[in-house]
Amino acid sequence: MSGPPKRLTMEELDRLCRNRQAAGAAMPGYVGPLARHVKAGDRRLLRLRYDDSPAALRLWSFLLTEEERLHEARAAGKKIVGTMKDLGTVPVMAYALPNLVAFYPDGAWWTPCVMELSEGLFGIAQSLGLGDAFCPVRAMAGAFVNGAHFPIPDLLTCSVGATCDDFSAIAQRVESLGHPILWWEVPSRRRPDPGEPAVVLPGGFEAPASQVALVRSELERLRAALAELAGLPLGEAELAAGIREANRVRTILDELRRLAYMAEPCPMPALEMLIAEMLAIHFCSDRSESKAVLSELVDEVRRRTARHEGVSAEGAARLFWVNPVADLRVMNLVEDCGARLCGTEYLFCHALDRIPEDLPPMEALARMALADPMVGPSADRARRIIEDVRAFGAEGIVISRIPGASHCALEGAVIGRAVQDELGLPVVELEVPPLADSMWPNLKTRLEALVETVLAGRVR
Amino acid sequence: MKTIAYSSPFVPAEWITAHGVRPVRLRPDPAAAARLAGPLMGVCPYARAFVGKAMSLPDVDAVVLATTCDQMRRAAEWPGLAGGRPVFLMNVPATWQTPASVRLYRDELDRLGRLLVRLGGREPSRARLAEVMEDYDVRRAALRGMLGTLTARCASEAMARFDLGEEVVPNEGAARVVTRGTPVAVIGGPLMSADTGVFDIIEKAGGRVVLDGTENGTRTLPTPFDRRRLRDDPMLELVDAYFGTIPDAFRRPDTLLYQWLGREPAASGARGIIVWRYVWCDMWAAGVVRLREATGLPVLDVDVSGDEAELARAANRIQAFLEVLG
Repeated sequence: MSGPPKRLTMEELDRLCRNRQAAGAAMPGYVGPLARHVKAGDRRLLRLRYDDSPAALRLWSFLLTEEERLHEARAAGKKIVGTMKDLGTVPVMAYALPNLVAFYPDGAWWTPCVMELSEGLFGIAQSLGLGDAFCPVRAMAGAFVNGAHFPIPDLLTCSVGATCDDFSAIAQRVESLGHPILWWEVPSRRRPDPGEPAVVLPGGFEAPASQVALVRSELERLRAALAELAGLPLGEAELAAGIREANRVRTILDELRRLAYMAEPCPMPALEMLIAEMLAIHFCSDRSESKAVLSELVDEVRRRTARHEGVSAEGAARLFWVNPVADLRVMNLVEDCGARLCGTEYLFCHALDRIPEDLPPMEALARMALADPMVGPSADRARRIIEDVRAFGAEGIVISRIPGASHCALEGAVIGRAVQDELGLPVVELEVPPLADSMWPNLKTRLEALVETVLAGRVR
Repeated sequence: MKTIAYSSPFVPAEWITAHGVRPVRLRPDPAAAARLAGPLMGVCPYARAFVGKAMSLPDVDAVVLATTCDQMRRAAEWPGLAGGRPVFLMNVPATWQTPASVRLYRDELDRLGRLLVRLGGREPSRARLAEVMEDYDVRRAALRGMLGTLTARCASEAMARFDLGEEVVPNEGAARVVTRGTPVAVIGGPLMSADTGVFDIIEKAGGRVVLDGTENGTRTLPTPFDRRRLRDDPMLELVDAYFGTIPDAFRRPDTLLYQWLGREPAASGARGIIVWRYVWCDMWAAGVVRLREATGLPVLDVDVSGDEAELARAANRIQAFLEVLG
């Protein structure tokens, strides 16, 4: 690649891929033209715009071949663990055992988007009683029924308690279809009472020590189940090693985020950064390869930053994005509207923070699980967002609502008000359905209005 | 006497009373929701109404919400909910089959107890708690006995009075139980005060409610206390009667609910089930198809938003459902 970074169509990205293949560039076996995924039904790929780096090509190929990896793992005799509604805890434990692979069935929420509704998952979900009043993660129930999107796991776990009702209800429906679930409790995180023993969690939230102890005891149940599935002990040494490896991924991602969200001009597009961040949750079913994928992205971003090259114009409006979008294409709108991302909170900031290595492993994992922004008060989440907005120097906030999600209705108002009160920054709320094409003009206009407000604020 | 307002059936009134504080289980009215500013789209009408009602009551000293539903959990953060009064968010675990979840529920009762003491209540002795529980048990047994002699609406209103701590006596003016009509069960989430009208709608349409399985109906009554265990360890018995037995859609797994559904509709002779739920209520919405599968009965899913036009639409659907049931 030469010249300043550009955003490519899928055809252009595939041309880049073929050229590299023809030139004998060293690439992992899974890297290939995205057209092969379009043939398999991933039609949304035709509508996206991609970063033009080999690192981004590798990232996309890694993401889109996850299902094949899972099947290969099973064929190789590994056991598969589906970790539902668990944004980053149980996978750390599962990958501490050499013959387990963890994945995130909830990830199927993007399948209707990627396949532009051609796969029929929402139809199956509807037939199960999970209609469009539910969050798009209902697609997961359809995927369990048709078995066409991920292998049925050997062990299925699900965190409940302080989770959104959509997910809890959908997971229960999955269990009713004959997929036993190991439910584990994460209580609603509360502020410690005066004088109550308290613990500071990774990321800075505080929780009563008794809640951490409860989560630790729940994780012990999971530890026993994972060890039984693997037929191997999951001792302190294995867990500590697993935590160290997870932290390596998180450290690389942390550097990537700092560079991508702070360098001027912006060195990596919003869409690729969303995908990169998602790797932190379950390593896209291959922990060591996820490290390599992220490292290559960091190298690319470092190169661009050194050359003062970016994917958006210098001085682009600096936006902070809250919640993941159901339609990936919407992330392309960031650069299309003359903006760039300066920070995100995609519901799993706790999976980006380093897990304490100076604590007994189960205690460290329990603290991390309880640091999930979804399990605590929205005001806590708002506080973390405000700190990150300050740290990354964002000038405007986009709160992206997930259709039907029980947490979004009130949470957006709490976060928006807190940000406006404390920082005086403009906030826009959007609702992004799995296919946002029909709402495109509306979404674009709202984002453009935010960008204009931000830029006008600079002049004043 | 200080007063605590709450909504969830998993908050034991006995525990509050034993502390010398008055428990008031609210059934909000839809109009209370209209007074609130704040987001509308996606917010459960019941949660809005509960917040509106709690905010409007001048003689309430604290508000207790439970984590049994995400919307109510988040309602605890509604700006101005308490107007300076304490808001207590009680962690009711979704899991229930482990010692850890039972311990958490019990710990939460202890934490609630500390709030009650801070409000001016007194920590009850074992004997005091047992005495209060026994009193509730006797009154609840009388209530249970009375319910079968009343129309569904009158029965539901009697339960509402019980939940407010009012004396429930057989009202000579209350309409007596309807013996004719197609027997149906009403199952689902919480009721607002105006929702008892649905029982009239059913009866006017030729139906007869033989089972009130809403959150304010008999489904969520704790089991009668075991007197011997009550004397030995009242707290243990309290936890068991509430947390150990009340079937609900939020529990994981939801085995208790489906055991109840396998038993009660059949025992009541219901020929159909009306699911009564508020829009955005995921827990009950997800159960509709399963309920049909589990009971083998025709099911009508009625989602309401609390406004009168919705109720009229619901009435039409209920009428059609009963016609189909014949």
